[in-house]
Amino acid sequence: MAADVIEIGTISDEALMREFQGGSRPAFEHLYERYRGPLYGFFRRRLNGDQRAEDLAQEVFLAVIRAAEHYEPTALVRTYLYGIAMNLLAVERRRIAKDSPPGKESPEPATREAADSVLWIRQGLEKLDDSEREILMLREYEQLSYAEIADLIHLPVNTVRSRLFRARMALKAHLEPGRTISETAAASESRENVGLARAEGEAI
Amino acid sequence: MNKVIHPIEPEELMAYLDGELTADGASAAAAHLGECAECQTLVAELQSVSQSLKSWKVEPPEPAMPSAIETALAEKQPESRKLIPVPKSTWREVLGRRWPVLAWAGTAAAVLLLVFGALTPNLLRSRSSVKSSKSQMSTYLVPESAPPSASPTVTPRASGIVAGVIAEKGREQGYITRSLSAGNSSVSEQEDKSEEVEPLASSVPPVHGPMIIRTAQLSLITKEFDKARTNLEAILKQHRGFVGELKVGGNAGSGRTLTATLRVPADQLDGMLADTKKLGRVDSESQGGQDTTSEYVDLQARLSNAHNTAQRLTEILRNRTGKLADVLAVEQELDRVRGEIEEMEAERKTMLNQVSYATLTATITEDYQAQLQAVPPSTSTRLGNAAVEGYRNMVEGILSLALFLLSNGPSLLLWSAILFMPVRFVWKKVRRSFAS
Repeated sequence: MAADVIEIGTISDEALMREFQGGSRPAFEHLYERYRGPLYGFFRRRLNGDQRAEDLAQEVFLAVIRAAEHYEPTALVRTYLYGIAMNLLAVERRRIAKDSPPGKESPEPATREAADSVLWIRQGLEKLDDSEREILMLREYEQLSYAEIADLIHLPVNTVRSRLFRARMALKAHLEPGRTISETAAASESRENVGLARAEGEAI
Repeated sequence: MNKVIHPIEPEELMAYLDGELTADGASAAAAHLGECAECQTLVAELQSVSQSLKSWKVEPPEPAMPSAIETALAEKQPESRKLIPVPKSTWREVLGRRWPVLAWAGTAAAVLLLVFGALTPNLLRSRSSVKSSKSQMSTYLVPESAPPSASPTVTPRASGIVAGVIAEKGREQGYITRSLSAGNSSVSEQEDKSEEVEPLASSVPPVHGPMIIRTAQLSLITKEFDKARTNLEAILKQHRGFVGELKVGGNAGSGRTLTATLRVPADQLDGMLADTKKLGRVDSESQGGQDTTSEYVDLQARLSNAHNTAQRLTEILRNRTGKLADVLAVEQELDRVRGEIEEMEAERKTMLNQVSYATLTATITEDYQAQLQAVPPSTSTRLGNAAVEGYRNMVEGILSLALFLLSNGPSLLLWSAILFMPVRFVWKKVRRSFAS
């Protein structure tokens, strides 16, 4: 079958998805190969337990298989996958919150080698506002664009940009023990004052 | 504070680093960055944050494709490939192509089985091997007699049954999820396993993609009302739909109105609309669609979690001993989870039904024109009518008298008997007085 011969790396996700819709198993295998790591990382960084992360990443692919017939290319495949992942994550978090008493969940480093630095980063992320943390993680770890993030969490792009900036500044303050968030904010205030005077609706 | 004029906002600098600025914006940002030490510091800070975050790496997942995905792919592939070249469809292909029909058939089968289960509870109870105290739980979780890995014929069946529900470890531990009654399993097991996969799987359709609840409203005006009504029923039958509700108002000979709520398979809605429009002049038309994909995915995930929770609780009940209070607490929790599962199953089925079948509200109004009787009736007709009227009046009069006598005669006779003697006495006395 001609559709079975696919050169990985040369075909976009969307084309692979279309091939898969047409019944090509190799196309799905390529998609799986591309996204199994990122999706596993998505869940691994947000939940405790590598097995659960693997299960949920697997659920994303199962959802793709089941919905392949009805998939319509209204968004990037990447956004589609992370959209499913976000839904599953929300459900999982609700379940965890229901099953375990508050405060029971303890941070668990994702890697043993870099336990200290990871713990440091995780503590910084934990201190962030939920929305800001999610935006920062989607940008830094999932490498999503502002528009993709906005699409996923249903916020305007400018809001995403503002929150991402705040999150980075807040994390910077945490990672620099000698410098507080207020100092960081004050340092950027002078620039913002001038910046706001410029055309406000200027699009990126 | 010594304020410096910066033509570029800090957020824009960040966007520049992230590659989110337009070409003009990026060149402006780069130009400013080249000459502004403060902005260079900010950029360095932002880069430092990103660098720090990158130090959090996660170990790679297992490279092998999980068996659940392999199984799902194996089930999916033949269905997809059959879609393309086959000129003449067999019933299997029709079912595979038209999942809403499949879903409806499955739902109908489920309803029939539930009705059957309700009518013959003793039979089903006797076939169920689960103890009576846990029979309700067996509605959802039935342990397989052999682990899936040891029985290759069981694996596709189990995964087919749980297709719509996000299956987790329950599948690996030999549990299958069923949305039907316990009796269903005993009935199904008598059939060929390869045959029973489809109806059971179709009752839980594996839908995660766009799920649109389609609705349409059509208002028509027609001169031939009766014909339009007959044709509407024929069109509905042709598109495999059914009547949800139908009302006809108005008298024959006057302007009548038919209002019908019709349910047709979602993929038949367009054809149904086109055919219905031919029945008369379109007065108004509207269509709508509600995307329930995210709600459905969320519901499925919640359902899956509830099943897992129920499974864990059942495991605890089976394998662990403890205080009576603890056991009762687990039983109580299990009951609560079961209740949640039932509610979610009902919600899921309702949603599937709404998605599978579109709702068409059709209103057909008769375009009635009152007609004047220009020619008066003839004399003979009038005489005949008068004779008939006279006869009718005579019969009515006799009938009325008879009715009066029958209804009041006994009372009149009674009072006559009572008053006869006193009246006679008075009458004689009066006569005597006149005579003297």
